Amino acid sequence: MSDIRSFFGGKGAAAKKAESPEAKPEAKPADARAPTDGAAARKRPRRVVDDDDDGDARGAPAPPPPPSCAPAAADADAAAPVAPASPAALAPTPPRPSAPADVAAPAPSGGPAADGDGAPADGGASDGAEHTPSPLLTKLRQAEGKAKSKGVLENMRLILDTARAFSVERSASGWKAGAPVPYAFLCAAFDRCAQTTKRLEITTIMTDTLRAILETTPADLLPTLYLSLNALGPAFAGIELGLGDALLLKAVAETCGRQEKQLKAELDAEGDLGSLAMAARATQRLMFTPAKLSVRRVFCAFIEIAQLGGKDCQQKKRDKVKALLVAAVDNEAMYLVRSLQGKLRVGLAEQTVLTALAHALALSPPAATGCAPPSLGKLGAEGLHEVLARAETVLKDVYSQLPSYDVIVAEALVHPLAELSTRLHLTAGVPVRPMLAKPTKGIGEVLERFGSGAFTCEYKYDGERAQLHRLPDGTYKIFSRNSEDMTGKYPDVLQRLPRALLDSTSSFIIDCEAVAYDVATAKLLPFQTLSTRAKKNVSTEQVKVQVKIFAFDCLLLNGAPLIKQPLSHRRAALRSAFREVPGEFAFASASDSDNAEEIADFLNDAVAASCEGLMVKTLDVDATYEPSKRSLNWLKVKKDYLEGMGDSLDLVPIGAYHGRGKRTGVYGAYLLACYDEEREEFQSICKIGTGFSEELLAQLAAFFREEGRTLAKPRPYYRFPAKPDLVPDVWLETCTVWEVLAADLSISPQHCAAVGEVDPSRGIALRFPRYIRTRDDKKPEQATSATQVAQMYRDQWGNAKKGKAAVADDDDAQSDDLDDDA
Amino acid sequence: MFEARLTKGELIKKVIEALKDLVTEANFDISATGIQLQAMDSSHVSLCALQMKAEGFDHFRCDRSMPLGINLSSMSKVLKCCNKDDIVTLKAEDDGDSINFMFESKDQDKISDFELKLMDIDSEHFGIPDTDYKATVTMSASEFTRICNDLSILGETVAISVGKDGVRFSVSGEMGTGNMTVRDNTSSDTKEADRVEIDMEEPVNLNFALRYLKSFAKAAPLTDRVSLCLSRDVPLLVKYEIPEFGSLSYYLAPKIDDES
Repeated sequence: MSDIRSFFGGKGAAAKKAESPEAKPEAKPADARAPTDGAAARKRPRRVVDDDDDGDARGAPAPPPPPSCAPAAADADAAAPVAPASPAALAPTPPRPSAPADVAAPAPSGGPAADGDGAPADGGASDGAEHTPSPLLTKLRQAEGKAKSKGVLENMRLILDTARAFSVERSASGWKAGAPVPYAFLCAAFDRCAQTTKRLEITTIMTDTLRAILETTPADLLPTLYLSLNALGPAFAGIELGLGDALLLKAVAETCGRQEKQLKAELDAEGDLGSLAMAARATQRLMFTPAKLSVRRVFCAFIEIAQLGGKDCQQKKRDKVKALLVAAVDNEAMYLVRSLQGKLRVGLAEQTVLTALAHALALSPPAATGCAPPSLGKLGAEGLHEVLARAETVLKDVYSQLPSYDVIVAEALVHPLAELSTRLHLTAGVPVRPMLAKPTKGIGEVLERFGSGAFTCEYKYDGERAQLHRLPDGTYKIFSRNSEDMTGKYPDVLQRLPRALLDSTSSFIIDCEAVAYDVATAKLLPFQTLSTRAKKNVSTEQVKVQVKIFAFDCLLLNGAPLIKQPLSHRRAALRSAFREVPGEFAFASASDSDNAEEIADFLNDAVAASCEGLMVKTLDVDATYEPSKRSLNWLKVKKDYLEGMGDSLDLVPIGAYHGRGKRTGVYGAYLLACYDEEREEFQSICKIGTGFSEELLAQLAAFFREEGRTLAKPRPYYRFPAKPDLVPDVWLETCTVWEVLAADLSISPQHCAAVGEVDPSRGIALRFPRYIRTRDDKKPEQATSATQVAQMYRDQWGNAKKGKAAVADDDDAQSDDLDDDA
Repeated sequence: MFEARLTKGELIKKVIEALKDLVTEANFDISATGIQLQAMDSSHVSLCALQMKAEGFDHFRCDRSMPLGINLSSMSKVLKCCNKDDIVTLKAEDDGDSINFMFESKDQDKISDFELKLMDIDSEHFGIPDTDYKATVTMSASEFTRICNDLSILGETVAISVGKDGVRFSVSGEMGTGNMTVRDNTSSDTKEADRVEIDMEEPVNLNFALRYLKSFAKAAPLTDRVSLCLSRDVPLLVKYEIPEFGSLSYYLAPKIDDES
């Protein structure tokens, strides 16, 4: 962690130093690898070798690589080890029809002037490193640094290298431009993904795959994406295949001439029905070979399978599966079966596919967008890298707002990527990925992080996140945290919701927490109760567990997206559009205080109201809604953190502070101490003002004001903070013991508990102490000892595994992330 | 208008029983010369070809050639209602959407009729090349059924090798191995039904998935004799000739030999 900070956080020169030694030795292996890639692609012959490639090159709308591309690549490969920055390794764009000329002379179109590009691009990269890198680039590198990857140049090379490999692969798989993408092409990509665990390589493989499709058959982009994601549609649409393993097993047995029982036995041993299917397919000849599978056909068949229902649907589904399996060749059978099982297992995470899509769209813009492919010669490696990074940011942002590839791909095929964010934004009816909060250790951390900016604390309700949508046509939808449609789960909520709506409100998306609610006692019930509700096809009459909705954010109101607005604005919009309905709908309880004491009280109130803790959110600065991000602008303080210390401490009040405001006339806070048995002294450990009811404060004040319980000056055996504002107004005789809970223990420059035990000059203090009760059964000398306090402090870090190092790391992570957000 | 009447109605019933395991739905191609059916099983590993000659029926009329797409399991259910000695009549209008089955008992004291909806089935015709098989074995149909059923207890794949000694069926599985050899007995005075004729040009050794053979063997009730025709790298032909009526042939693609 700290390495990366010094790497990227330092000046440009430092960054360069750190970078160059890393990039250079790496450059060779990459070039050395390139030929193997190319060779592997060439060596893998498909059944049918396309014999009229030349015809394609002439007639295709988006010209595919000519066959001569392969020898050209091979030449370049041979040269690569000699010249680290070989021209071919940096060939910027997908190969053009003029490929043979590319190596020798600049192509007329300007862009893919491979020969001229090589050297300047390399130079550009090193020049770039001398400047202070742009924040975006820094961010990117950080991401890469985390993935233990190579330098920028190296990545570019990797990305562009495989561009060649895929063209070879494509022509080998007999795929003519405009024709449906062969399923074998995608399966080959899956195979290559499965062979590596490196995220970057997988991204590159997928980028190339998608580029190839963009350039030849853009119409197949969407099915390819869904097959790669092993999905049938957007998550919220909830389309499922509905295939059991038993059914698949039967289908495989029937198509491969195997007996179900034996296949089952092998499955139990082997574990992967996919590879069994592939093996079984390989041993049985066919009477007549069916037409080759295409990505399109496979995807359509999947959708048909999902839509089958009613009588004999299992049989019909099996027949569909069999029809696919029969046509499957080689690894197609394996990936078909795995896709049908819903476990593709090639390491394709959604984020990877998104990144690959962004890169593919940036590197091979669809013809209809009118964008020219970026040129490495003009941009340099860093420039190109930035183009890719920007594309990724745009696409991920758009996706988080509108998580539907159907819509995004349709737009991306005809409009430039850069315009997507203005063209597509969140829409009522399409769930937004919810914004998430970072956990904190306590209120202290919250205050440290938010500093002076305005923020608000809200109750963190112990329920289920629910995103309520009202479409302009008046239909309602409820989506879960995972964007699943929960509309059928809460008919009662929807029935009552209009009552909370003001007349001016038409369409909206609000972020809420649905909490189980006891109508009789008007109390919130824990999540466990909520989870007993039926999940599907609930009818209002059946509902046993009532639910109250607590709204806390408004993402869209009357057609206008609000997520780029600060929270203060969104909250105002929410309140202007809804009204509270007792027992049904309320706004989340919030407090905008920035006073630690008040927040602590608010937290106690939240816990008392059966909530999990608090959500603390920035109000104005950096306060936009960031879909799907676990943002630092939202923090959660859970009551668990308060109780995190586990054991309570028994402490002695040795001083008191005069109360102010509501607490005027009583003591508003007390100074607590632990007892050091060795030195026989009371050492201050914290100031406490939380956990007292008004009644109790009055009783305590009356108790201490009795004869002989206050002192004119501290006892000589009291050790207390020197800081004037911590010196109590009144000194107290040690006469009572209180049980206290706290968030955690920390080294304090002020307090004196266990001084010398953990730190030579500083003591230990409690953070966010809370009064639990008075221990009548203990004498002051029986209070928690300094040794115990020291032990608790050590245990606490023992639990956190690395002790102090962990804290330091954590802090680093914070500042890194903050940099990111800036 | 298509109309066909068969006194031995049972034959139709047996034909469908012999097909329905492998083919769920198929086109019966009706023409003046008779009824033909050709269909692959869903896994494309086997192919069934049925031929029922017009002369085989007691009455056969077909004005226009047409395909009748029928779901075989539905047809088999209807045929369950056909008794052993019933006379069966099939009828279909030229542009109708159904086929009519009529079952008359021998003494004409009971007549039942059923109508089955026709379906549109996309099917291609497969040109099966005339193959000069290197080995042909003709044997008792019920004996072949028995061999298939018995061997499938041991394993999934049977190796059929035709050599000088006869035909050997071998299976190996987890439990163990099994071999059954059937010898040519034309020279001895065996009963017609149990006679085994082996006509071999060169030895052939091929592997097949037993489950298909077991399905083929369901055709045994149709006739006494079955012929197995083999050649290297060519599908096995299992042919049931039904005297004076037609034939039911099955083709099965071999398994790929691991050793070779």
